[in-house]
Amino acid sequence: MKPTLLKMSNIFKSYPGVKAVNDVSIDLYAGEVLGLMGENGAGKSTLIKLLAGAEILDSGEIYIEENKVNIDSPSVAQENGIGVIHQELITMDTLSVAENIFVGQLPINKKTRLIDWKSAHKKSSEVLSLLNSNIDPKSTVGTLSIYEKQIVEVAKAIHKNTKILIMDEPTAALSEKDSKSLFEVIDRLSKQGVGIIYISHRIEEVFNITDRITVMRDGKLIGTKLTKGAKQKEIISMMIGRDLNEFFPEIKSEKKEVMLKVTNLNIDGIIENINFEVKKGEIVGLFGLVGSGCLNIARSLIGIDEIDQGEIYINGKETSIKNPKNAMQNKIGFIPIDRKHEGLTLDFSVKHNLSLQSLERLGSGFLVQESIENSMAEKWVKKLEIKTPNIDVQVKNLSGGNQQKIVLGKTLETNPEILIVIEPTRGVDVGAKMDIYKMLEKLCKEGVAIVLVSTDVPEILSISHRVLVVSTGKIRKEFAKGEANQQELLYEASLN
Amino acid sequence: MKVIGTKITTNTSLFLFLGFLVILFSFTSEHFLSPYNITSLLTNISYSGIAAIVLTLVMISRGLDISIGGVIGLTTVVVSALYSQSDPLPIWLILTIGLGVGAVVGLINGWCITVLDMDPIITTLGAMAITRGLAYVISDSQSILMFEDTTDFISNGVIFNIPIPIILFMLTALIFSIVLHKSKFGRSIYAIGANEVSASLSGISVNKTKMILYVFTGIAASVSGIILLGQTSVGMPQHGIGAELEVITAVLLGGTALSGGKGTIYGTIAGVLILGVLFNGLTISGVRYVHLQIFQGLLLLVAVATYEIRTRNEVAR
Repeated sequence: MKPTLLKMSNIFKSYPGVKAVNDVSIDLYAGEVLGLMGENGAGKSTLIKLLAGAEILDSGEIYIEENKVNIDSPSVAQENGIGVIHQELITMDTLSVAENIFVGQLPINKKTRLIDWKSAHKKSSEVLSLLNSNIDPKSTVGTLSIYEKQIVEVAKAIHKNTKILIMDEPTAALSEKDSKSLFEVIDRLSKQGVGIIYISHRIEEVFNITDRITVMRDGKLIGTKLTKGAKQKEIISMMIGRDLNEFFPEIKSEKKEVMLKVTNLNIDGIIENINFEVKKGEIVGLFGLVGSGCLNIARSLIGIDEIDQGEIYINGKETSIKNPKNAMQNKIGFIPIDRKHEGLTLDFSVKHNLSLQSLERLGSGFLVQESIENSMAEKWVKKLEIKTPNIDVQVKNLSGGNQQKIVLGKTLETNPEILIVIEPTRGVDVGAKMDIYKMLEKLCKEGVAIVLVSTDVPEILSISHRVLVVSTGKIRKEFAKGEANQQELLYEASLN
Repeated sequence: MKVIGTKITTNTSLFLFLGFLVILFSFTSEHFLSPYNITSLLTNISYSGIAAIVLTLVMISRGLDISIGGVIGLTTVVVSALYSQSDPLPIWLILTIGLGVGAVVGLINGWCITVLDMDPIITTLGAMAITRGLAYVISDSQSILMFEDTTDFISNGVIFNIPIPIILFMLTALIFSIVLHKSKFGRSIYAIGANEVSASLSGISVNKTKMILYVFTGIAASVSGIILLGQTSVGMPQHGIGAELEVITAVLLGGTALSGGKGTIYGTIAGVLILGVLFNGLTISGVRYVHLQIFQGLLLLVAVATYEIRTRNEVAR
């Protein structure tokens, strides 16, 4: 019987209007990888914040190795061996690897009372090699890849003798290869007795690396199952509380005229000779590994990236898209890759976010007509089934999936004829995912031309009518729906 | 923030504090509540209040303008210098040029901050020095007397027994309140302050909006300058020294965040009134002028330090 590292008993935490954690009890054994799953509004993030000391619980107890602890600040959490790798990495990019790993605790030379850099670098290398990494401790973190940054964060956590490591959507921004490396690291750590709480929406991943899976929904604990022997459908049902017949809807293509055509698109050093077209009611997927150029193609269509050469034709007419406003004027809508920093204004309310791209339509004159804004907001909350107490709450209080729906609603309000969608379901819970796919399906039927950029392989394979594989800035291959499987797609994407 | 178990909004707590000050000073000095003093108080705050109202918009957009004082000084010098020419231009033209001073400074500030992507603090700091310097140069470090009817009327005249500066202040507050809180333009100001990237991606013309705000602020500073000129009858390069501190304190006190995205005209009005009442009350109670600046600094620190407590749980409008 493995020792219990962590025990959370009857935890309650509420925010104004929302019972984020409602009588939740979980436990974690040494050397175990515990998957924590649930729709984002389920309360997982809040539970983690309570463990990390970022928030204080309303009631309940937390025991670490049988001792009751009162976690009221991040330092207390750290002292008790809790380390968190957040979904949004908190590396200090302008500092070196060693400075990040030893932040606040750089080794001091006892004689000179100055920082002992030699020791810091040596110890950093030791920790990094435990993670099978040879990153130079002197290198500036800002120059590292996302995977390497994550390793630095893991190093930071474990050198402090972290016993409980919490990882929140660690593979969200990682390539397939780096994800595998991370799993090896997790395996090593768990063999050393570290208990890991692994939060991810990627079911296959969770089934691959966890020992047990705990599911939360609407703030409550639904159940915990041994991974071995559990069924994916069962876990999904627990998460969304309803039966899932089909994970991906069958989106039929209505062959119509060409809505968007791109010829000879070039951005020096990034993309080269990109040619493709998208018909009305068609979803064209752009798939490529991190850095392949997919993002840049999409961003040039939105007007964020400037193209050096090439033409864009909308409905047959050559158009130049110099900035996002241009894109909007040309009826191009979009979901940017980073909803928190690009898609939403977090301090604004639901209704203010939904109307932000359509201010001119909130009344004919200079002033905003509240009634129009309110009904606009209510309309989208209903259409997209956005879960929110009301339209006046700040969107920062909503779950990732609901936030993403608001980003979608905001752009759909402008009645786009072309929709550029980048990683639409990243960090989004199962239920919201389904709702977003349903909306994309509806848009297809209405004749919207959709460009989908996604690194979620099952998603892009199932939703797109055609998938274009992009690698090192060029389009390498095109697959029609059903023509390729996961391996083929990844293979083509990794070619030079 | 919670007081005695009920939630009181920032603005309400400000006006409560204002009420407290008024009551306090009515006890420390018998003259405080006299009509003469009240009028004098309100007239005085109108001068910096106009700039404060407009600065609120800039600060909500996450900008800052420290050049207000310099523009005030330069405006008084330019206007009085033009008027003191042997065959002066018509007064309406001179005053328009005066407003133009602020507009031009605002335009240059705005251009540097948007097109050149320069930091607002550094840019307007430079503008402050340059305008102040220009004022000294143009006036040859001398005071320029100006006795003129129109400016005298603007600064000292009354309509329906209300001093005109107060009317101008109320008008400014009313207009910009509608602009900020009820118009589409105002919404985009909040959006830019809260998240500039999102605002830009939502099709808002960020640079254009910011430019307009800095021009407005420049013009408001010029208006303040003209009022000051009329009140003192003299254009001096020293006019407006310290005005930026006063104005920014009032705006911050009123609940506008330095980080942008939050703030109200109502709050700024409260901030302006609190500062005005505080100074007036202290002066009337015998506190020496030189000590007032200490109070001003203290109030600024208190405003910023208590900001988090005062505005917790408030939704950005």
